[in-house]
Amino acid sequence: MMAFIRPRLRKPLGIALAGTVFAAAWALRGGHAWWLSVAIEVTVLVGAITFYVRAGDDNDEGALAGSRADERQKLLSLRSRALGWNFTMVAAFIGVTAGTALKASWSWPCLVILALGGFAYLLGLSTYGIAEEEPADDTGPRHPAGSPAG
Amino acid sequence: MRNRVREQRTQREMSQAELAASLGVSRQTVISIESGRYLPSLPLAFAIARFFGLTVDKMFDPDEEEAGT
Repeated sequence: MMAFIRPRLRKPLGIALAGTVFAAAWALRGGHAWWLSVAIEVTVLVGAITFYVRAGDDNDEGALAGSRADERQKLLSLRSRALGWNFTMVAAFIGVTAGTALKASWSWPCLVILALGGFAYLLGLSTYGIAEEEPADDTGPRHPAGSPAG
Repeated sequence: MRNRVREQRTQREMSQAELAASLGVSRQTVISIESGRYLPSLPLAFAIARFFGLTVDKMFDPDEEEAGT
């Protein structure tokens, strides 16, 4: 489906769609603050348009925003996401630890984040090859120690 | 690791943007490779070497440090 959408439009459309879903959820929630859903939608649309404009820039951020990143830029993005994951895991661990010490009930979302992060990490190891390791190809008859020439 | 990308490119009087377009990467990536801040993947290293008509080991020398790094 993504192939039908121009690369520069993909991420702005994703932002607009996600923001619209959240704004709709806020509107469904009802209550006296329902009007905030309109503010959320407007903010998200402005953000998506800004993202689209930035996607045309001739720099690394523009290439990533415009879905035209090359191998180095993809690596930059991957490292940044890994850094974000590390920060999230440390923050979740601190939350769980502090919540446990204080007997607080608010720490369970931190535990969920920690568990999901750990599960996703293990899933990544499994998906990207650790589980498919082949035996080392050194099971043949061993050569006698010493110089190959001798 | 030292490489000869800048030297080869300037010999051919090419801009970084032209080389980037020929290799299918961004101008920023060519700049990073030339300055030694980024080591290209094996396929890209082969593409660069092939583009300049050299072998990979002629293009990239692991025994030499990049000047200024």
